Amino acid sequence: MDDKYDLRSLFLGEDSLVHDLVTSGLEGTPLEDSSSNIAFGLGTFAVVNIVFLLLFFSQFAILWIERKAVARMNDRRGATTALRSLWVGENGVTGGEWWNMLPFGLGRPVGAVNKWLNKKFGNRSEEFETVDRVNNRSWMGLSILPGFFQNVADGMKFLIKEHMVPRRADKLIFEVSPFLIVSTTLIILGMIPLSSGMYATNPDLSILYIIAIFGIAPIGVFFAGWASNNKYTLIGGIRSAAQLTAYEIPLLLTLLAVAMLSGTFNIIDSIHFQHTAGAWNLFLMPLGAALFLITMIAEVERVPFDMPEAEAELVEGWWTEYGGMRFGMLFMAEYIRTYAACFLFTHFFLGGWHLPFQGTIGQIPYLGDAYLLIPGALVVLIKAWLVFLIVFVWARFSLARIRTDQILEFGWRMLLPLAVLQVVLAALYRLYLFDVEGMSDTVAGGSAWEAFGIPFFIPALTTILWLSIFFLLLNDTGKNEREERMYHVQTVQPAGTHTPGQD
Amino acid sequence: MWITMGPQHPMTHGLWTLRVKVDGETVVDTEAELGYIHRGVEKIAEARDFTQVTPYCDRLCYVSAMTWANSYIYAAEDLLEVDVPERAEYIRLISAEIQRLASHLMWLGAFGPDIGNLTLMTWCMRDREMFLDLLQELGGSRMHYNYPRIGGVKRDLPVGFADRARAKVKLFEQRIKEYEMMLDESTIWLVRLQGVGYSRAEDMVNSGVSGPNVRAAGVNYDVRWAHPYSVYDQVDWEPAVEKPTSVKGADCYDRYRVRMEEMVQSCKMVLDALDKIPGGANTHYSTGDEMILTKAPTRAPEGATGFSNYECTRGASQFYIQGGGDGRGKNPYRLSIRSPMFITIPYVAKTMIGYKVADIPAIMGSFDPCIGETDR
Repeated sequence: MDDKYDLRSLFLGEDSLVHDLVTSGLEGTPLEDSSSNIAFGLGTFAVVNIVFLLLFFSQFAILWIERKAVARMNDRRGATTALRSLWVGENGVTGGEWWNMLPFGLGRPVGAVNKWLNKKFGNRSEEFETVDRVNNRSWMGLSILPGFFQNVADGMKFLIKEHMVPRRADKLIFEVSPFLIVSTTLIILGMIPLSSGMYATNPDLSILYIIAIFGIAPIGVFFAGWASNNKYTLIGGIRSAAQLTAYEIPLLLTLLAVAMLSGTFNIIDSIHFQHTAGAWNLFLMPLGAALFLITMIAEVERVPFDMPEAEAELVEGWWTEYGGMRFGMLFMAEYIRTYAACFLFTHFFLGGWHLPFQGTIGQIPYLGDAYLLIPGALVVLIKAWLVFLIVFVWARFSLARIRTDQILEFGWRMLLPLAVLQVVLAALYRLYLFDVEGMSDTVAGGSAWEAFGIPFFIPALTTILWLSIFFLLLNDTGKNEREERMYHVQTVQPAGTHTPGQD
Repeated sequence: MWITMGPQHPMTHGLWTLRVKVDGETVVDTEAELGYIHRGVEKIAEARDFTQVTPYCDRLCYVSAMTWANSYIYAAEDLLEVDVPERAEYIRLISAEIQRLASHLMWLGAFGPDIGNLTLMTWCMRDREMFLDLLQELGGSRMHYNYPRIGGVKRDLPVGFADRARAKVKLFEQRIKEYEMMLDESTIWLVRLQGVGYSRAEDMVNSGVSGPNVRAAGVNYDVRWAHPYSVYDQVDWEPAVEKPTSVKGADCYDRYRVRMEEMVQSCKMVLDALDKIPGGANTHYSTGDEMILTKAPTRAPEGATGFSNYECTRGASQFYIQGGGDGRGKNPYRLSIRSPMFITIPYVAKTMIGYKVADIPAIMGSFDPCIGETDR
């Protein structure tokens, strides 16, 4: 079902304000004949910019979620930076005075406001237990988005840093690879719809397109690793290339399963499918959702699959030689890729802009109408943030990093067969369990997954089946009682056969 | 390809260089280069009074200053033939075991990021802070306490110390379970540690490795248990010895487990010692009281020697002092320090051969290196 808020028709429709203004403005001029083309161009420009800015700036939310909010919870109110760190540093010393670095004294008003804030609210409440080490960074006792603007300050710090190219580096490739990575990352945002009426572009094969774009950045990573003339970056770049195939193929197969189930290679159509058929893909292919998340974490190089930038042994992996704003851009690109992965999970498995129980609640008079008034873009954003919070951040904060040979083994021996299984399952579901008659694009949605007269029979059964399998695997207590350890290193000279002192 | 890891590298946990020859990702050869922060403590000590040496011994390893200072003090007491009051011995035991907790937490907090788990760092630093606060109450500073004295300790336990120590140790006993829930039940943690970094017990004993690292391989040798000094034979504890599952010896997981169990034992010891301490844990004797400090001679005759064998947090640390130095015997003629890590690090560098580059921090971290004591 389409979202109520249709940004594209607002700017691009035949009776839109842009169209009216342009046609009336160009009336009588030589450009009159092409006025509708000009209106289309202007409208597209506006829509693309609005969507891009929405996506780009909402990305600060995930930066905040991971680097401030959860880190703070993780530390249990320990020493983390927070919102007030922008104006109150340790014991009243202001944090960096970044406003004085702006040109032409543009930051003076900020400095004045900061001075006032310091005077008014600095170092007040001492009720928190950590207050003797780190000042209580709450504002009037409230902690609202603590640390949100820290990222802005960090970005400014990157901007004023020097850019250095290592000696004997391959200068051209060294300079090109960040742009390769960052530009392909930004292109991903162009494909991501915020709702049915709020997207920059919508090609027919957008799923394929997105995966193709996702696959370009690892080439840039390999370039960067090679061009830096550094052994750590070299190993990091080669690791990135080595693990590429291990997760890309399962990822492609999982998306193939999604495309087969929804019968389209278009993201927006696949979201429509989830509503018209009656159930989100998450409940029809939980295995596919899990595979998608695992492979996506590997794709965006986050813990536990961040071997290319393993900071313990490779210093900072393939980023090691990048400094200044190039590091900042690579850092931002990593987060944008993560954010795009959250969006894709939302769209493929969580019904995109559709609200939970939209069909059921939407039918209730008045309340349903109010429920449907919630903007689809907001729903998508909140779902993406929740996916980031619940999956990506949680994994990062609770898991360790696995080894390159282990991800290869994991990818080829486990993910790939499971992905093939998911493709087969998707084909079976589509061919034998799917009821085309049940599709309907009304508020109520369809009931194409009904069986034996029970609505939602197939999604419910699938979910229960996979959840029980998951719990069985989770409670495998025999894991610790096994005599031999689970994994062993396989090398030419087997590990452990070496005797110190004899070599 | 030779990779030079260090002297500034996240894996080193200090200032040293590990040169690694790699074939792809496999380690083919290694070379450890030590000595970047040699400060000549042994030579400095020859121009210092016996009491003036203690702060230098604090600085041998800032992670476990209390145990190193104690280790020196026992050698000096052997040299000067001082009898230590039992209450002072109990206080030393409590402070050393709290220091062991703080040191092992520092190890775990550095070991987590080695494997890629940054949460562990924040958690361990948080809990280590509790124990540093306790030690600060004793010595007055967070790291270098200069707390033990020849013949006793500087101060008695502060008022209320026992209650705070009991509360913190009991809280930590709960938090160890939290750590285990996060680590031992994570498959990734297990696959990174199990089957990695095998070291045989006999190789380690032949090389002179000691402490938790050999106990992980099933060698039941703990100086506190085998040659009980202080009052370790009076408190209730058992040495933490891991039974390795493979004939190849102990892997990183064994070494991780043995330190976790040692922390549990240290908690037990602190609680028990606080109950058994002569004079009661809540009484406070003034500084210099004969309950906590015996008057010690300041001079040692020529030919007299002192020796201590002490279970430091990283292994057996030994001090050998010869009396009769400058100032008519006021200074040691010769001080010799046996550091467990100086022996362990070159051994560990060789055990890495055959593993992957990604295993280097795991193996090195599991042996708990400390460069301050290594270079002395």
